[in-house]
Amino acid sequence: MKGLIENLRNGIIKSNPVLILLLGLCPTLAVSTSIDNAFGMTAAVLFVLISSNIIVSLIRNYTPQRVRIPVFIVIIATLVTIVDLSMQAFLPSLSKSLGIFIPLIVVNCIILGRAEAFASKNKTPNAIMDAFGMGIGFGLAITIISFIRQTLGTGNLVVFGIEIFKVPGLSENPMPIFILPMGAFLVISLLLATLRYSGVIKSG
Amino acid sequence: MTKINLKMEIIPVIFLTFIVCISVIFLYATNSVTEEYIENAKNEAVKATLNKQFTDMDDYSYDENLELYTIFLDNEVVGYAFVAVASGYGGPIELIVALENNFLKDDEIIIHSISVVSHSETPGLGERIVESSFEDQFIGIDINDVALNKDGGKIDAISGATISSSAVVDTVFKTVTEKVDSIREGFNLNSEEDF
Repeated sequence: MKGLIENLRNGIIKSNPVLILLLGLCPTLAVSTSIDNAFGMTAAVLFVLISSNIIVSLIRNYTPQRVRIPVFIVIIATLVTIVDLSMQAFLPSLSKSLGIFIPLIVVNCIILGRAEAFASKNKTPNAIMDAFGMGIGFGLAITIISFIRQTLGTGNLVVFGIEIFKVPGLSENPMPIFILPMGAFLVISLLLATLRYSGVIKSG
Repeated sequence: MTKINLKMEIIPVIFLTFIVCISVIFLYATNSVTEEYIENAKNEAVKATLNKQFTDMDDYSYDENLELYTIFLDNEVVGYAFVAVASGYGGPIELIVALENNFLKDDEIIIHSISVVSHSETPGLGERIVESSFEDQFIGIDINDVALNKDGGKIDAISGATISSSAVVDTVFKTVTEKVDSIREGFNLNSEEDF
């Protein structure tokens, strides 16, 4: 039981996929323009990550070593296509705003990385907890970045059509640079630098 | 020796083939379930946009040859609409351009309205092409006035988003001109056949 909780906590803080392992930076940089996108992306990644970890850990004893990577990729690609089609069918507006980044989950290093490094070597319950931890860790990082970018870039925070707050002065003169791709690099690098400098996360 | 080779070479192939087969089954199942919903979602999106533009429409039909929507109210044609794609700053901008129904009789072409269906412009800048303050400038203007202010037209560009604004304006002008020509041709052919 203690091991399971450790697996869960591992992904959220100690080896947070985005902030520590620096995996999955492509979607983190690209879709973190609004909190809505961050939540949508997190849900999609969480589903794919949990399902792929379950399947990979279930078949781990039967998978021949030599074809394990192609097998993982086929499994992940299938799951991503299922998510993509379901989103287009049932959540068309979210699917439109996430665009190409849903199909690109296939090459998200977090998922293949966890399949290879953890799920293929551990029991299913541990693999599920690991997937949850990593998924939440990814969600946490992308939400923080989206929060900063959306607040500074538009001056007001709107989540699922509900206005949470408005920054006086900033909403009339927002700083769109934070919404632009360049802003993503600025925010993530400053965030990483701050976290490391303050000792919240330790490098290496 | 042969036995070891067999195990080493064949089993991975069989295993991978097996996984792929299972994937195909799952994908086939997902596709057959979602196909209808995806089609519906697309039609709904088009219908919602047309409804926004022609608030009093009650039906529409789609001509696949001309790629043209004809809008009806009480079985009378009240306007035409078609999809145009502009290449904006961040990628394609999909628009629905609606025309008043008079261009078949008159030389004059009047834009009914335009509406942005999808785009990937910069949030806060080019994204403002979806705002009514931009889109509404097109309502009821003559095709010859579709140009940015600085080029002698009647459309104000969005400040900070000249590329997005002029992409929309240029595309509306170009596609409307082409479309009207092909529609006029199409209708002339049809009416000649009628005689």
